[in-house]
Amino acid sequence: MADKVCLQPCLGLRKESVLGRQALYVVHEDLRPETTVLGCGPALNANVQEDLDFIGLYPVIAVEACELDCATRLVGKKGKQVARTLRVTDLAQELAIDLASLPERHIPTEHPAVQALAKRIAEQVDALLAA
Amino acid sequence: MQEQDFKVALLPCNGIGRLVSTVVRQAGYRIRELRPDQVVLLSSGRLAVKDPEHFALFQKYPVLVIDGCRPHCASFMCDELGKTPAARIYVADVMAENKIAMAGEKRRGLSAKGEKLVAALTQKAVQEVDRIIADEMLSTL
Repeated sequence: MADKVCLQPCLGLRKESVLGRQALYVVHEDLRPETTVLGCGPALNANVQEDLDFIGLYPVIAVEACELDCATRLVGKKGKQVARTLRVTDLAQELAIDLASLPERHIPTEHPAVQALAKRIAEQVDALLAA
Repeated sequence: MQEQDFKVALLPCNGIGRLVSTVVRQAGYRIRELRPDQVVLLSSGRLAVKDPEHFALFQKYPVLVIDGCRPHCASFMCDELGKTPAARIYVADVMAENKIAMAGEKRRGLSAKGEKLVAALTQKAVQEVDRIIADEMLSTL
């Protein structure tokens, strides 16, 4: 059974990406530092060994900003399948986060929307490790 | 007469693992803000999976690459997709040129020191954008 989860964000440019990215810093650095690793998309694409190891050793949760599912597809491009794909847009709806009210380029990690999303993703990490 | 479409496709690595990832990301937005009619900002995530819309822009315009850290992932992406960038900027070079140390900065949010590097990187990139477009215009004469 895996003891860590690889979090693989989409790293796009839209605000949903920014929200997801900031939430993953909170998950990885504050909420679940012992049970998560943070995968870097461009590094994975460039075959950086650490990032190849992450998706090889651990189940992957892809955190997507839109329906293009680039992170999920990138993991597939490297011959692995993600364990779960989460969409920021879906989670935001569940958590009643008003995406329109969020800033475009940077959202502080203290922002309630970031914290709420991070907590929800951390729950998904726990569920995956318990499965 | 056919209207010329002089633009630069900006490809910042947009990684997440390192502090410089945040610097590159913020600079990308700022460069587009300073040259809104000349810069098309590409998403490395979309390009990595060859999203048709992004790939078309990548093919159409000269590419300015910004690499955050040593693996030079944005440059790798260009090579993988078969295009030689018009210019490449490596953030470590900008740090050295401007004598900016990043000790104490956090990747989740930059302070004044990090913003100074964003500004220096933006300035260098905008100069490159202007140079690339000038070269493109001259090449049509």
